[in-house]
Amino acid sequence: MAKFYPLKVADIRRETRDSVVLTLQPSADATDEFEFVQGQYLTFRHKFDGEELRRSYSVCSGISDGTLRVGIKKVDGGWFSSFANDDLKVGDTLEAMTPMGNFHSSLKPDEARHYLGFAGGSGITPLVSIIKTVMDKEPKSTFTLVYGNRSANSIMFREELEDLKNSHMERLNVIHILETEADIDLFSGILTPDKCDDLFGRWVNVKGADLAFICGPEPMMLTIAAALKKHGMDEAAIKFELFASAQPGKAKKRAAPKGGSDAGGICKATIILDGVRREIEMKKHGQSVLDAAISDSLDAPFACKAGVCSTCRAKVIEGETEMEANYALEDYEVERGYVLTCQCYPLSDKIVIDYDQ
Amino acid sequence: MSDENDILAYLEQGGKLTAPDNAPARYRAELLRMMASFVDSELAGAAGFADVINQGPGITERIAASRIVLEKFDHGERVLKIMGAFGANTTRYQTVHPWSARIARDDDLGTTRRDGDMRLNVLHYPINGWADAVAMNVLMGAASVIQLKELARCSYQPLAEAFQDILPREQRHLELGREGMQKLVSEGAASEVANSVDYWESRVAASFGGPASRRFEMLQKFGLRHQPNEALLEAWKANIEKTVSETFT
Repeated sequence: MAKFYPLKVADIRRETRDSVVLTLQPSADATDEFEFVQGQYLTFRHKFDGEELRRSYSVCSGISDGTLRVGIKKVDGGWFSSFANDDLKVGDTLEAMTPMGNFHSSLKPDEARHYLGFAGGSGITPLVSIIKTVMDKEPKSTFTLVYGNRSANSIMFREELEDLKNSHMERLNVIHILETEADIDLFSGILTPDKCDDLFGRWVNVKGADLAFICGPEPMMLTIAAALKKHGMDEAAIKFELFASAQPGKAKKRAAPKGGSDAGGICKATIILDGVRREIEMKKHGQSVLDAAISDSLDAPFACKAGVCSTCRAKVIEGETEMEANYALEDYEVERGYVLTCQCYPLSDKIVIDYDQ
Repeated sequence: MSDENDILAYLEQGGKLTAPDNAPARYRAELLRMMASFVDSELAGAAGFADVINQGPGITERIAASRIVLEKFDHGERVLKIMGAFGANTTRYQTVHPWSARIARDDDLGTTRRDGDMRLNVLHYPINGWADAVAMNVLMGAASVIQLKELARCSYQPLAEAFQDILPREQRHLELGREGMQKLVSEGAASEVANSVDYWESRVAASFGGPASRRFEMLQKFGLRHQPNEALLEAWKANIEKTVSETFT
């Protein structure tokens, strides 16, 4: 099960008008747990109005920086990012899981590799970690970063990248692309397939590149990946990172339990699967919600049927149920109304179960 | 930034996901199902093959069989770790099913899935002696390689990468099987091997699943699958035909 550790906020640096960089300090006995690989992220949890919210943010330090830092950009309506930008203070404690993620390649200190990096907005965060680490640990490798932003004042890590460029003039190349302001055509606007062609033809050597990292909004990632492939890059050499951390608001409260408690009774269960609602009748005992759905020829997802793998997870939208066993869902998921349908039995006369949430 | 419909559109256009947080509910479920089927097949396959090690005629054969068992357990563990990131209880998972359990040799499961774990049906049948194990390994090994090539393109990047690492090792298992089969045939066990090939052929073929299903359409939209079952089955049939004609001539 996921374990959360306290992290003390040692520093808050305002990066742009709507983003901060937090320096975090694990407690002395958890220092080893927070050793990270470049490009990894931390998952934080925090309670808002008594309800837990989890969000992931990428580490922006290099692996030998000796500090653990994350970049957080404020998103409209984003509870956690607003909290981090507006309310958090030095000395506060956050809770986070140990670093996770696979947005990296193993380091080869003796090799001279050429990397390409593409970042859109706050997608720069893991790339800063990767660039710093590569500059430090692979002295023969080079890196070309293409970094898109709305305008000059929204560029995160602008100074840090400038400093890195000055320290590694021969090895690090940074190309800024701004949507609103820039003198030459190439460096303004957004990355369309045509723009990629231009860029790859003249400024970025795709053929000579070993690996590409892309982090940003989905359309940007698709455009760039397609252009890279068109220019001869192997799909396996392209690494993507995408976060849903901007998901705004909070989860809806679980519907209040209601209904009778007759043990031998029948329950009217509405099952929502792939956007279709189906009403079935099931006994309250002897058959799990999953089995009832399957025996009514619904193609509900499952694997272990033992409460272990969590494949059959669904949300109880209405009514009351109980789980016989649960080895996979965490408390916060259960609080939100999630159940393992293979272990779930109705208590009320009517339930609504949604596999699509 | 990332509303669920955006992510679904992104996946449909070939985008990749890298972290559990991004996975929409149905995507998550289908991905977990796919992973469970792989993990269960590796664990059940390794458990069944473990009994065969001692039947190997010599040390070389026993080393080959041991290696296959070791690596299949390892492959299962790698993918189970990825399931763990989605919340699966990895410790409990390892012992939740009796991986070495088998049905009777003459039972016929057809294509109906058996209750219990998610292993491929072919892994419910018992192996009957060394030549049978070798034949099964060649037929099933070829199927695994074809399936893995398909899954190594899937849209959940950590899983795709795990499969890319696993693929060459499963390919080696297939080669070991082919070498073993050649040896058996050259030593006069051709009819025994041929009988076993007959026994396993239809059972391995059934593991590819039926022709284009609604599930495949959904998996294709999610970028979890690319080629339909029948295309994979055809590729396997061609592969086996070639192996058989090379071995028995």
